[in-house]
Parts: sequence; C-alpha cells; structure tokens
Amino acid sequence: MLDASRLWRRFLGSSWLQAGTMGLLATALASGLWAPASTTFTALDWALYDFWLTDRAAIPISPSLLIVTRDPASEKEFGAGPWDRAILARLLASAHEAGALAIGLDDRIDHASQAQRGGAASDALLLETMSSAGPIVVVEGLDATLTSDTTITGHLSATTDSDHIARRMPVEAISDSKSIPAFGIALYEAFQRQTSPAKPSRSERDLTQLLVNYVGDGTISAFPTLPMSTLWNAIEHHENDRLTEWFTGKIVVFLPNPIAGGNTLLPTGQKVTNPVVHLHALNMLLTDNRLWQPDAAGRTVITLFVAWLVSWLLLHFQSTISLLFAGKAMATYGVLVLLSLALAHVVLPLALPLTAALLVLVGTTIWSHLTSHQRLQLLEQDMLRVQQEAAAVREALVLRETRADTLQEDLTAARVAIAQSAGQQEALTQSADVLRSQLADAQTQEEEARRKLEGLEHQLHSLQAATSKPVAIGNVELDRLQGECRQLGIVTQDASLLRLYRDLKKGAKSPLTILVLGEPGTGKELFARAVHRLSSRAGKTFIAVNMAAISSELFESELFGHTKGSFTGATTDRRGYFELANYGTIFLDEIGDLRLDHQSKLLRVLQERSFYRVGATTPTTVDVRIVAATNRDLQRGVSEGWFREDLYFRLTGLVFRLPPLRERPGDVPILAEIFLPEIADQMGRPAPKLSNEALRGLVEHEWKGNVREFRHCLEQAVALNDGLLLNKESLRLGSESIPPAVQTKQPQILPDPASDAAVLNCLRQRGFDMQATAQTLGWDRSTVTQRLKGLCFQALVETQGDKVRAAAMLAGDPSLTRTVELKLMDYYDHLIATIQPFATAEEALLDCKRRFKNLPDRHFRSVETLVRERFRTGRPASFGLKTGA
Amino acid sequence: MPSRLLLATFWLAFFLSGPSLHVSSAQTPENELSPAIESPTPFSETSSAPPTAEPQLPETRPQERADDLVLLGELRNSVLVSPNNTDTRLKLSQALYRIGDLDAALDECRVAIKLDSRNARAYLQLGITLMAKQDGQAASIALMEALQLDPKLTQAHYSLGTVQYSLGNLPAAIQSYRRALDLQPDFPDARYRLALVLKLTNRHQEAVQFMESAAGSGIAQAQYFMGNAYRNGQGVERNLTVAIRWWTKAMEFGQPRAAESLSLLRRQALSPDQPEQRRTDAITAFRQYRRELWGDYPDAGRHNSNESVGVALLKGSQVSDGITALFVEALALGEAAHDELAQLYETGLDTSLAQFDTRILRCFTTTAADGFIPSKKALARIYGKGIGVTQDRQKATAMLKGLSKQEMQEVLDEIAAQ
Repeated sequence: MLDASRLWRRFLGSSWLQAGTMGLLATALASGLWAPASTTFTALDWALYDFWLTDRAAIPISPSLLIVTRDPASEKEFGAGPWDRAILARLLASAHEAGALAIGLDDRIDHASQAQRGGAASDALLLETMSSAGPIVVVEGLDATLTSDTTITGHLSATTDSDHIARRMPVEAISDSKSIPAFGIALYEAFQRQTSPAKPSRSERDLTQLLVNYVGDGTISAFPTLPMSTLWNAIEHHENDRLTEWFTGKIVVFLPNPIAGGNTLLPTGQKVTNPVVHLHALNMLLTDNRLWQPDAAGRTVITLFVAWLVSWLLLHFQSTISLLFAGKAMATYGVLVLLSLALAHVVLPLALPLTAALLVLVGTTIWSHLTSHQRLQLLEQDMLRVQQEAAAVREALVLRETRADTLQEDLTAARVAIAQSAGQQEALTQSADVLRSQLADAQTQEEEARRKLEGLEHQLHSLQAATSKPVAIGNVELDRLQGECRQLGIVTQDASLLRLYRDLKKGAKSPLTILVLGEPGTGKELFARAVHRLSSRAGKTFIAVNMAAISSELFESELFGHTKGSFTGATTDRRGYFELANYGTIFLDEIGDLRLDHQSKLLRVLQERSFYRVGATTPTTVDVRIVAATNRDLQRGVSEGWFREDLYFRLTGLVFRLPPLRERPGDVPILAEIFLPEIADQMGRPAPKLSNEALRGLVEHEWKGNVREFRHCLEQAVALNDGLLLNKESLRLGSESIPPAVQTKQPQILPDPASDAAVLNCLRQRGFDMQATAQTLGWDRSTVTQRLKGLCFQALVETQGDKVRAAAMLAGDPSLTRTVELKLMDYYDHLIATIQPFATAEEALLDCKRRFKNLPDRHFRSVETLVRERFRTGRPASFGLKTGA
Repeated sequence: MPSRLLLATFWLAFFLSGPSLHVSSAQTPENELSPAIESPTPFSETSSAPPTAEPQLPETRPQERADDLVLLGELRNSVLVSPNNTDTRLKLSQALYRIGDLDAALDECRVAIKLDSRNARAYLQLGITLMAKQDGQAASIALMEALQLDPKLTQAHYSLGTVQYSLGNLPAAIQSYRRALDLQPDFPDARYRLALVLKLTNRHQEAVQFMESAAGSGIAQAQYFMGNAYRNGQGVERNLTVAIRWWTKAMEFGQPRAAESLSLLRRQALSPDQPEQRRTDAITAFRQYRRELWGDYPDAGRHNSNESVGVALLKGSQVSDGITALFVEALALGEAAHDELAQLYETGLDTSLAQFDTRILRCFTTTAADGFIPSKKALARIYGKGIGVTQDRQKATAMLKGLSKQEMQEVLDEIAAQ
C-alpha cells in the first residue's frame, strides 16, 4: 500500500512518465481505431505520399531497360489471343543472340499448348530456348506442367492497400512452400549477376514489401517501348545490326500478353496490369531510386515518440502555450514526413502518429484536469510533513542549545569554584573536564541538529517553490475560485487568499462559528457576507453588527431587544439583532472591542442560543449562524486578560486570517483595474489609466489601511487629477509611507528598557535562534542567552509562574510559543536545580549571584523573586504546577 | 473462318508427311478414315505458325478443295439414299471435317453413334472433331469410349495422347503414345510426339531415341530437334557436326528453323565478335561435316580432304547428286564448292542447272549475310557486273562491307575493269 502510494506520488511528479503512459495508451487506441476505419486511415496515411508521387519531378528511366510490347500490327500477324510459343522462342533466342543480359517474359508456362498453337513442339522449342538463352525470368504459373531447371519464376502480385491502391509489391511470394521472388526483383538480380557477378547486389530480400517508385503516371506509356511487330520484322530480315543495337547489354522484357485494361489502381489514379507495376519496380531498382518505409515496429516507435512528445509538451508547459507547442510539434512532424520523402525517400507514417497525437491532446487535457487537485494535495502534504519535521528539529536544537548554554554556565561556575577552593581543585577540574566533554558533545549535537534543520529548511524552501507550480497546475481551479470570488465582491488573484476562500467555502456549509481575523481594510465583512451567501442560510437575513459602535448602555437592548415598558423610552416591544437574524447569519464585527461584561452576556447567547429580552421573563431562542471578526489579537487579549478565554474558544470554530494587501502585491493591479472605472463612474469622469511608474509605486507601497486605504488613494487621485493618465506624483504616495521597521514592530509588552524590547524583537524575528540573533546584534551568543534568560524569568514573575502565558507573551507569534516555552522551562529547571542543594534562600541567592553574574541586575531581581518564592512555598514550587505540559 | 484456313493448312502438312499416313492407313481397314485422324496434329508440328518465306505447295490447294467438294456432294446423296447407314454418315462427317464444317461433322458423328452405339470409329471421329473444336475434355471422353469398344484402335491411342497433352496430363499422354507404338511400332508421328513429351518431362535420353527414329523416318521437325539435341548435348553427347547434319536434312525438308540454326552457327564461325572457342568449334564442325559428306557418296571416290565432294561428283558425271552436294557444302562454308557454284552461276550446267540460277544467288545471299567472305565477293561481282541481275554498283559496294581495304579494292578494281 505504501509502495503503491509512493509510486503514485512519483508518477504524478514525473511528466516524462505520464507522457510515456499517455503516449502508449494513445498509440494503442489509435491502432485500435485503425481496424474499423482502415480505408480512411490508409488513405490518410498515404495522402502526403500520393501527393508527392503525383506532383514531384519525374524520376529517370534506366537506359538498360528495353520493353517489347504487343502491338496491333503483331496481333494482326499472330492473332488476337495467346500466341504460339514458337514465336516467343524465336524472340527470346534473337534477344539472347543479340546480347541481352537478362530476359523477362510475361508469360506463364504452366499449361501445355493447344495443338492449334503449336502443341508439344512449340512447348519443347520454348523450353529449349529458355535453357540455352541464359537467365530468363517467367511468370509463376498455377501448376508445373512444364518445367525447366534454368528458368527463374517470378510472381506478379502487387499489394493493394485497404484503400484499393497498389503502392507496394511483395518481395517474395510463397507457393507450394517455395519462395518465389517478385518478377521485377528476379529480373534485376539476374541482371546484376550478369553485369557485376563479383559485387553482391543490395538485397531486397530482407524486406517483405517493396515500395514502388512509379515513373510518370505509372502506366506503360511512361517507358519507351519497342513494338513486337518491328522486332519481328527485324528478325525476319536478319537485321542483326539493329537487333544488336536494341539488345546488347540490356534487360529485355517481353510482354506478349495485352497490357491494356488492367485493374490495379495506382496512387496516380491510373489503372494498369500487374506486370507494369513490376516494370516500374525494376526501373526503380535499376536507377537506384528506392523508397524506404519503416517496418511495423519502426512505425509504432515513431508513433509512440510523437505521442509522447505531444503529451510531454502539454504536461510540461501548461495552458495555451502548451497547445501551441503541441500544434507546432504536430505540424513539424508533418513537414518532416514531407521532407524525408522528398530528400531521403523515406516514407514515414502519418495517420497513426497524428491520430495518437490528437488523442493525446484530448487525453492529456482531461488527465491534467483530473489530477491537478490531487497533485496539489500531495504537495501540501509534503510541505506539512517537512514543516513538522522542521519544527521537531527546531525543538531539538533549542534543547541542545540550551543545554550547551547551561553547561557553559556550569563550567564557568566550576571555574569560579576552582578559584575559590584550591583544595577542591582536582575534583573540580575533573568535573570541568566532564562538563567540557559534555559541552563538546552538546555542541556537536547542536551542530548536527542545525545542519539537519538547514537541510530541512532547504527542502521546505524548494517545496514552497514547487507549490508555485501546483498553482500553475491547478490554475484551472484557481481561475474558477477567482471567478466565484469576483461574484461575491472579493477581488483577488492571490493563490493563498483563493485557497483561504476555498476553505471558507467548505467551512461555510458547516454550522461552526467563524472568526475572521485581519487588519482593517482587508475585507473581513466581505468574507463574512461570503460565508452567509455560501451557507445554506443564503436566503435568510444577514445582520452585521459593529460591536465597537454600540453604546454600552444599549448593548443588551440592541442585541437582544426589549419589552414594552422595560425601561424609560421603551414604548413598544423591540426585537434585537439576534432575533432579527433568526435562521440567518449575524456578523459581529470588531468583537475584540467588546467590554468584558458584555463578553459574558454574549457568551451565554453563543452557548445556549437563547437570551432574555430586556424586561422579559421568558427566554427567546434563536437559530443564528455567528460570524465574528476583529483586527485585534484575541489570543493576546486572553493572555492579557481583556478577552474572555471561554468566549475566545467559542468563537474560534473556524478561524480565517485574511492577509494584508502588502502580502499580496499581485492583487494591486487587478484592484486598481476594477476600482478606477468604478470611481471614475461615480465621479462622472472618464476612467483614467495608471502609468507603469504609478502602478509600480502602488505595488511597492505599504498599504497600512489595506484595500480601504488603497481605494481612498485612488479616489483622491481621480478627484484631483484631470488627465487620463495617473502618474506616481498624482497618487501622492510618498509622504504617507511608513518605514517597514515601524510597521513590523511588535507591541511592546514589557515595561523594561528599550534594549530588552529590541533584543526580544530581534529574537522574535530570528525565531529565537540564539546564534542568528547574536550575529544580527553583533553580540556574543551567551550574552543573548543571558538576556533571554532574564526576560524569561521576568515574564515568569509577571505571570505568577504561568509558563505558557509567559512563553506566549515573549513569543508574540503563536508559532514561536512552543520554542520559547521549551527554553523557558529549561532555564527555570536549571535555576531550580542550581538552588536545590541549598537550605536557605540566601545561600541559594549567593550561589545564583555567582552563577548568573552576567545577568543584568534588573533581571536578577526576577531571579531573586523566583528563588524566594520557591523557598517560601516549599517544594514543589507553585510555579512548576502551572506548566502547559 | 480462321479455323477453316487452319484446317486447310493441316491438309498441306498432311501431304508432306505422307509416309506415316500410309503406314497408319495400312493398319486401319477404312482408308478414308486415316486422313481425318492425322489431320489436326501434323499441322501444328511441322508448320510453324509464323509465316515463312517459303509457302509449301500453294498450287495444290484449289484442286484438293474441289475434290473434297465433289466427294461431299456424293456422300450427301448416299446419305439421302440410305440414311441409316453408319459408314456413309461417318464418311460424310469426315468430308465435312476436312472442309472445316466442324459443327455439321459433329452432328453426323452423333447421328452415326445413335444409329450404332457400339461403333468405335464413330467415337474416334467424334473425338477428333471435338479436338479440332478445342474441347479437350469431351474429346478425351469420346476417345476413351472408342478405345473401350476397340482397344486396338491405334489412331484413338495416338489422338488421345495428343488430347491428354493439351490437357496438361503428360504421363497419360506418354502412356497413350506408347500404346499406339505397341500396336503399331512403325508409326513415326507417334514416335516424334512421344519424344517431344518425354523431352518436356526432362527424360532427354529416352526422348532422343524416339526422336532419332522419327527423324530417320523423315520428319523434318524431328530432324531439327535432333540437331538441337546434338548442339545442346541433351540426351546425347554434344556434337556440332552431327547437329549440322540433322539441320541440313531438316532444311532439305523445308524446315525454316533448321536453316536459321545453321545460319547462326555460320555466324558463330565467321563473326570476329564471337569468343575464340565458339568460333573454332563452329569452324571445326563445318570442316568435319564437309569431310564426312564424302561418306554419303561412296561413288565419288576421294582425292584429298580439302576437295569438294560436289565437284568430285560432277566430275564423275553424277550431276544431280553433285549439285545437291555443292549447295550443301557451300552452306557448310565449303570454299571450293562455293567457287564451283559461282562459276556454274555464270555458265549453267546442261539441263540440270540454268544460267543465273536463283538458287545459287539465294545461297550466296544467305551465306554472305552470315559473313562468308567468298560469298560477299561473288555477290559484289554479280551485282557490280550485272551478271544475271540488274547492275547495281552501290549494292556491290555494300556487299563488300567487312572486308579488308585491300580485298575490297581488288574486287572493285575487277568490277571497274569490266
């Protein structure tokens, strides 16, 4: 199972593998399609070839080829039907005597002659001539009544494709388990043996089919021919000179049978008899104008390659460009087919590769749509896994680091002890050695952990980089999400926001309470409305209540309503917002600004979904979906005490943190594009355009007020500018820009000198990595550690020993809380371990003073408080009980 | 119409191969039957279909035809008088067959068979007529029926052999011919045909035996094939001299292919383009043939090997033999005989040889075309001087093509001197 999922992951990750599979499937499917529509496919496959064959320049005719044909004059002399074989014998003998090198006779000598056509005597004469006149190729007959050892038989078949056109001929035919060569090839081989017996001719026998390169229109008229009657007259009149001139050194083919009225259809559209096809093949061999065609395996490989290439292009380059590339690849293949035909005489397959490519085109598009979501999920899983691993290693690193520091301190303490007590020197030296070695070990482990962390961070980084690809992969889905967002008034193309929307869409269906967090102007209310519209309550009421805007006196009355006479001015019954939003959604904006007493009232409604109207004695029950929003840090509010924890947990059914505009600069142009015409329309002015510089300025600007500020900026610019082009100056961005340092500054939570705040800030920025922080500050690492230690002790004192709260307070960012907590616990444990042996707080403090001599005085006060508290309460310390663990 | 013409040509051939006809007719009780039986076959064998320069006995045709028509009239009357007479009907059928009216002949045969279903000759006639109509299957059935009724019917065996061959059943053909020869050993046509079929089944040695006996019986085609067999060494040891002997005989019997074969051999002997071995073989064969010719004329005596036997015979006053021998020797490249003939062309010889005899001119033309230099010179003189022909100096000069300049000049000087 594990293997299968790993393989699947690997498969989805490799476009090569997917393209290969797609190519294989498409080739198989295309081959399967061939069978039911073989005529169409064959015609398509040969379309370019037929076009080329018909329209190219004529190929030469071999001067070694002489064709003697039956003509009307000879028919008049010898009769219209088959001729006496004695005539053929005489023709053959004359040709041989006149020096013909190879002779072909388009006649089957399989039957005995009728008595009227010379009978056995003519047959004997012909056989005698054939045996004496050297290599004579005759046509293979149905039976072997007459046999001669010296004759060569050749078959006259032509291969007709399923579109009824003869383009090829079989090189050999099997008859009575004997292999019979093609008539044309047998003649060519006989001729080759005569002209160059030593040189082995290139064998066509390795092939099964020979493509025929037709001369001209493929008929017999393409060749110069010698009429039989002319030849006969020359023989009769003993015109030996003419005979020699005609025959010497040539292949002579006698066609004593009528050659008109054949039914073999050629690519040129002509109909001929089979001997003519073989004559064209013979001429092709003689002039060495062969055509080549890859065999079935070769064609399949080519098809596979084309299908694979198209598929790979489609998978590798997403969207429209991939279609363009695929189209280009197919067109290039078409050109290649034509070029290979014209330049190399190689006939490449056309129908199968193109069909496969088209199938791949459809198949790959469907495939990428089907799998994009899955791919995205896999990558997210990978990211999550690596993030977890990174967190684990980070924890380990913290421990090691802390231990190293602790050991360092111990070492220092030991050194001090050495200085104080010379007698204990030896023991202490040993202890120092042990500590040193432990320190070295701890440092090595720390280094290892650091390396591992770096590796993991690198991996995470690359995965994050890879996720930009899935965005591309899933862009179809994102496009869809973007469209949906647009309908809900949410304008963005930011992938993270779109994904947030996707999750929100899923969450909207559930009855869970939703908390939307985000800076002012990030569109919290838009998302709240989206939740309502996407939920099953879309048809019901949506009530938005700004909690900060309700006066504290009217809070209950506004939210829960009141009964007539319940207070002065309550002249009628009034329904509150909760009642108004019954069966619908209530949006509690600025929930962070709610007073604590109001919080408890709201909590009850949230818990029970029922409340008492002011002045009412019976509770009112409502079915309301609650969506809350705030720009304040509620978690901090909980830790600082201004927000009720139970209310906080009630509200955080689903939490969505909307990213500020500065985190999604890609949305700036699209927002500008939408806002500008709207604003211009409102002001009754033509919509201006943004100059490139202005757009760059907008993108680079820190939008503290987010979209709201952005829109105001545009409104201001449109209002104050007359031109149709807005430049950077007209946007008036410069003066309001706030330095990012101030922007990112965390709220100061500790009333300590600024240096502590600066150190803490730096630590937070560096994720509480001591070394990195030390590097940034230009300090020694132990100094940073001491500072943090001091801060930790101070925080512990302030939170009355609540380590979780103290850690959260220091961390600022929840993601760092755990890291800080670990460090804090370690520091505290070390402190406890240090004071453990002492009987009184004073003694312990004396030792601490020595041990923590680098700790600033203000922090040592915290140590003192902690130690005294420890000794006051006895063991175990009350502090230790309030750990988050 | 063409089939009738062919039939007429059969008859001509039939007359040429007279001896075999008489032998076969001696065996059959009805003399009238035999011509019809023989007619289809010799045609195809002895007269090669391409028209040759020498039509054979064309003057006999009208007479033959007239006789047939008279006989036909008589037979029709006889049939009218006695319609139930099988013999009369068969004779009428034969007469109709001879003039080429095959359908009528078939009808008469069928009526005869109806009248007498046990008549073997009626079936034989039916078979032969069907053969002429190229219905091989039906013909073989009819002939087998005839043989069932009369197994000793030689003609039926012979005809069945021919039919079997045309049907492509060569072993059956051989068997039929052998049966015919068993019944009638002196049947040269059957021997010739058997030899041909054996040759076609590549049984050359056996074929040569039958072919030789047929050739010995005077069948020109067999003689021609014998010549070929000796040239090619098929079934016999290769011997060009014997080949020349057989071809010469065949040529005497009017076999044009034999003349061509001789012509080819002469060209081999005379053409400078030929391979030396071939040339020497041909020259030696001709010389040897001329020597052996002395053996044919024991009365001629012998003076020396280079002398012409014809000249010797003329000297011995054997004029007829002498002239024949001179032609044979001249065609076998005998220079002495050639010179004698050149002289006789101008002078003539009593009543046996006219002055300016065209046969001599034709003989010279043939050998000159094959490259025989004495013939070329002689013809140049004849045309240059206009001896017995219209003077044609241009033709004379053309005749000298291929001679050395000196020889040419000599002849031209001689012509000019006249």
